[in-house]
Amino acid sequence: MSSPIKSVRDVPAIDYYTSGRRTCAGCGPAITYRLLSKAAGANTVFLGPTSCMYVANGHQYLTSPYAVPWSHTQLGGGGAAGVGTAAAFRALMTKGKRKNEDINVIVYGGDGGFADIGFAGLSMAMGYDYKRLLFVLNDNESYANTGIQASSTTPWGATTTFTPSGKVKKIGNIRLKKNVALTMAAHPGVKYVATSTMHPPLDFMNKVRKALDAGGPSFIEVLTPCPKGWFFDPKHTVNFAKLALDTRAWVSWEYADGEFSLTYKPGKITPVKEYLKLQGRFAHLTEKQIDEIQRMIDEEWKYWEEMNQEKRIILPWISAPIPAVAALP
Amino acid sequence: MSAQVTVPKTVTLRRKHVWTGTRSIAEAVKIADVDVIAAYPIRPYTGIMNDLARMVADGEFRAEIIVADSEHSQFEIAKHASAVGARTFVGSSGVGLAYATEAICVTALGQLPVVAVAGCRALDDPGNFGMEWNDVFLFRDVGWLVSWAKDPQEALDMTLVAYRVAEDHRVLLPHFIAIDGAAITHVSTPVEPPAKESVTEFLPPYRPPYPLDPAYGPVTKAQHIAPSLIGPEQRKLVDVATKNSREVIQEAWKDYTRYVGRQYSPFIETTLMDDADIALVSMGAYTKDAIYAARKLRERGIKAGVVRLRYWRPFPAEELREALLDAKAIGVVDFSYSMGSPDHAGAFFNDVRSTLYESNSKPPLVDFIFAGGREPTVRHFEEAICIVQESTRTKKVSKITHWLTLRGKDA
Repeated sequence: MSSPIKSVRDVPAIDYYTSGRRTCAGCGPAITYRLLSKAAGANTVFLGPTSCMYVANGHQYLTSPYAVPWSHTQLGGGGAAGVGTAAAFRALMTKGKRKNEDINVIVYGGDGGFADIGFAGLSMAMGYDYKRLLFVLNDNESYANTGIQASSTTPWGATTTFTPSGKVKKIGNIRLKKNVALTMAAHPGVKYVATSTMHPPLDFMNKVRKALDAGGPSFIEVLTPCPKGWFFDPKHTVNFAKLALDTRAWVSWEYADGEFSLTYKPGKITPVKEYLKLQGRFAHLTEKQIDEIQRMIDEEWKYWEEMNQEKRIILPWISAPIPAVAALP
Repeated sequence: MSAQVTVPKTVTLRRKHVWTGTRSIAEAVKIADVDVIAAYPIRPYTGIMNDLARMVADGEFRAEIIVADSEHSQFEIAKHASAVGARTFVGSSGVGLAYATEAICVTALGQLPVVAVAGCRALDDPGNFGMEWNDVFLFRDVGWLVSWAKDPQEALDMTLVAYRVAEDHRVLLPHFIAIDGAAITHVSTPVEPPAKESVTEFLPPYRPPYPLDPAYGPVTKAQHIAPSLIGPEQRKLVDVATKNSREVIQEAWKDYTRYVGRQYSPFIETTLMDDADIALVSMGAYTKDAIYAARKLRERGIKAGVVRLRYWRPFPAEELREALLDAKAIGVVDFSYSMGSPDHAGAFFNDVRSTLYESNSKPPLVDFIFAGGREPTVRHFEEAICIVQESTRTKKVSKITHWLTLRGKDA
């Protein structure tokens, strides 16, 4: 069992995700990878479904940022890779072929890998009972590695190369963001589910430790702002994490031992416009559309508050947004 | 005096069972003390997993059995368990194999010695339980070794040998054992399993060179690379491993005879070939029918023989050329098709033909395609031999590709 980190001074100095990578300046997924490695420690295996966190972490000079064992798995293979690795350790240990000890198996996948192509495999993994098996979804709300295409966690209204804002279809992405963490919480075998981001600084690391100690498969979805895909100045990455929480565009919560709780409540609520206006992917939105996003956030927030009060999960329901395509004359 | 049935004691002299092909392979997996098994149902291979699940549930041996959500996950599970250092088993059939294609490719190109069974089945559409080889043939080019069994006994033996060959550090490649759907999977024949003790020496525990395990320090596996940096060199490693496998396969079968007792010629099995003018070349269960047909036609004065490939990858080109050296004409018994390929022949035929391009004799070659899963009978093999015989008389092949089980015009 690992203890919670109480202050920034207690954060382990050693990184197991270090130099030797070529991620973008201000890369959100890389920052959270580093925090994840600090929280998990040395006795860890990392598995990486194809994503930015595959292509940008190795490549040109055969360097590797991983100071613990790491393996690639196919884009849709995250769930299976975690299960196969955990099963191998358990089999070798129970059959006396390997020393018995706690080993963390952590699959760090993107929203494409976990919310789309690998969704079924992830769901399969949640049904097993492997201890210290953690899936972390770094949600940068697009397929960033292939040049910013929409995934099922891309928010309503965002432009991506597959959902551009055009002359007729102006809105960009017309799908509402899938809540992957809630779907994971629907698996009876799952021991710990949480959402997080880089703010407050210790939140994600402590959730990682709780998840690993939970005694079964666990899942954390962490919002990882992406300067390249969201079109913002790289110096703002961490600020975006805070802004997402304060505008309630992102909700930080955990579900442990069957109990739901909000883990961040904004002191003063900031209008979502402040979050949207700094991102190029929302630059095309009209005032009316921004109001629409604010309305959806306000509607949904009532559910999150109710869940926090009742300590149980209730599926949020929001009324449909304004039509994406203007009616033809 | 009450009636009593006396059981003759001689029955227990040799411990023989009557097992299907699926059961035989499950027994081999148990003897090999496999650690991680990934299952997903599709006919006709499923019986293997049913048997393994029962064996583990009854405590006959210990393994992690994962019921996967798809064939893609199945093969990914096996791949990653193998990377840690577990001995793994997996399998599928038909479109199930097609669904797992991505995972199957990376397992070979990442050099992880997973052992899998392919219970050959026709690809969809339309859904079809018949037997074709095209499902396995999807993986002919990526570095999987493929052996092809003729009956349940050989399927069991090939499974044990597959682990030995795949895990050898000169090879480190995944290995399919192909068994013809229904004809082997669902047919019971006498099978004699080796004693577990005799296999212990033959098959030492799997020791990966770089396990994905913190106890052995950090390893980075299958990272993204710049093609200009090590692209061709990485592919060459897989190429060399498949070349090395030839020697390792020969050693393994020699040792198998030493420890277990049964004897096989590693790559090729020839029947009635000593004085044969006509040769049928095939793989798998229907070779037996071809041999039966050859014997029948010998009564009519046609000197026919049969050559069976026991391995399809690595392809035993040298051995095949030698076996066919004196054949005047050759027919290929082919359960594959390759639509639009040279002469619209089968994928198996095209391998045999390219092998014989380097042969001094260059005999006439005819392809007999059994596509679509309709089961051939001995009559079809007799007809095949007669067609090949005709080409020796006319000294030319008037029609290269024949669909013998087809009803109506063979267009």
